[in-house]
Amino acid sequence: MRAVVVAAPGAVALADVPAPAVEDPADAIVRVTTAAICGSDLHFLHGRAPVTAGDVMGHEAVGIVTAVGNAVTRVAEGDRVVLSFVNTCGACWWCTHGQHALCDRSRVFGAGAFGGHLAGTQAEAVRVPGADANLLLVPDAIDDERAVFLGDVLPTAVASAAMAAPAAGETVAVVGAGPVGLLTAQALLGAGADRVVVLDREPERLALAGSSGALAVDVRERDPEMTLAGLTEDRGADAVVEAVGSVDAFGTALDVVRRGGRVVVAGMYAGDVTELQLGVWWARALQVRFLGLCPVQAWWEAARDAMLTGTVDPAPLISHRLDLDEAPHGYDLFARRAATKVLLRP
Amino acid sequence: MGLTPGYPSSVDGPMAFPSQAWFDEFRTHINASDEYREAAADWEGDIAFLIKAEPDKGVPTDVWGWLDLWHGECRGAGLIDEARASNAAYGITAPYTRWKDVLLGDLDPIKGMMQGKLKVRGDLPTIVRQVRAATELVRLTGEVPTAFPDEAR
Repeated sequence: MRAVVVAAPGAVALADVPAPAVEDPADAIVRVTTAAICGSDLHFLHGRAPVTAGDVMGHEAVGIVTAVGNAVTRVAEGDRVVLSFVNTCGACWWCTHGQHALCDRSRVFGAGAFGGHLAGTQAEAVRVPGADANLLLVPDAIDDERAVFLGDVLPTAVASAAMAAPAAGETVAVVGAGPVGLLTAQALLGAGADRVVVLDREPERLALAGSSGALAVDVRERDPEMTLAGLTEDRGADAVVEAVGSVDAFGTALDVVRRGGRVVVAGMYAGDVTELQLGVWWARALQVRFLGLCPVQAWWEAARDAMLTGTVDPAPLISHRLDLDEAPHGYDLFARRAATKVLLRP
Repeated sequence: MGLTPGYPSSVDGPMAFPSQAWFDEFRTHINASDEYREAAADWEGDIAFLIKAEPDKGVPTDVWGWLDLWHGECRGAGLIDEARASNAAYGITAPYTRWKDVLLGDLDPIKGMMQGKLKVRGDLPTIVRQVRAATELVRLTGEVPTAFPDEAR
């Protein structure tokens, strides 16, 4: 079958790879109808996870179940499903306490050794271990293009918004207007934040933020810290969601949050190092929470419901729809920040 | 805005902040201050000040200011580049508006450092112990005839 594989450090290519088959009674095979390229794929490809040549990329996909092992009970052949990018056992203490991504047996699709060597989703088909715990049935009211967001980006956004816990009258800042940041802004507004301020430097992305009801701020033109100070009688944002995954973005989040405020770190980090003055953090009584890998299974039903009620809509974020063969072009677009969300159709 | 009587000055009118002329004038006032000389008698080390750009306030790019402070004397002052700033013993970073607040007496610099409004590179306790010297430095900025870019527009 066709699949997008690592060709060399930082480069992908289309290749023929063996089609997946049921290897365990809890497995399902999903024929992928829509996959997507995520910012994390670029992180993996550029060294934040040890992917190697030949590894199949991707961790977002929606499709049709074509086969199941004899232990699978919750999905069946022919079901339309979305898969969680983080694959877990579904039964351990972590999985039964809403912290699936911390499961000792968790793996991530398309992330090489870092992800437990689980073949990725940018392919014609994918094997999903633990199908009962890691597949969600997609209602007819949600099309494939929207459903593909339910496996990673949208639960991440909904979880981030919930962790930011906006109260009525509060101002929340979102650092970064990528897909997670934009959907977090939508989720925050839906969760009751009085004002959501999205910080970025890309005009197209800021326009998307503005159209969702957020206040979009171009950080090339306005200082983030003083902008939030100006909106809050010099206090700063009540809560901040860092949705980039860079030391600079983390620093911006700390710059704009008020004393006693809440910082949710949703961006992905690996070997990044930053200096912090514990005394200043302590004196500011900061509440910093790291989301880590999103426990998708704890949030995807809430994300699905938010989509069904119209609270969030990821469709405007889709900038490119490409055939699977065009994946290298899609990665290039993403790397140049010329795309917001790239969908791939096998 | 006039100068405090008795303090020497090299200019007659207000100077733009941040500018070389402003730091030159500030240095003159520092070295004329007996209070500062006494308060900072044990201070050693130059300080780089990053005034972060605020294009909408008339500060289009980052600006690094610098004071070489040594036992109550200001041995040098002015604008420097980023490379030189990184070699300074201490660095303090804030957006332009925060610095303006300091100059106007609206933001206490020691409190600003503890609140993260002024970000310090270097040993924070060493700096915050210099409360008297910092207070006198701020008072002296008030003696520099200053033109702020966002008020000139």
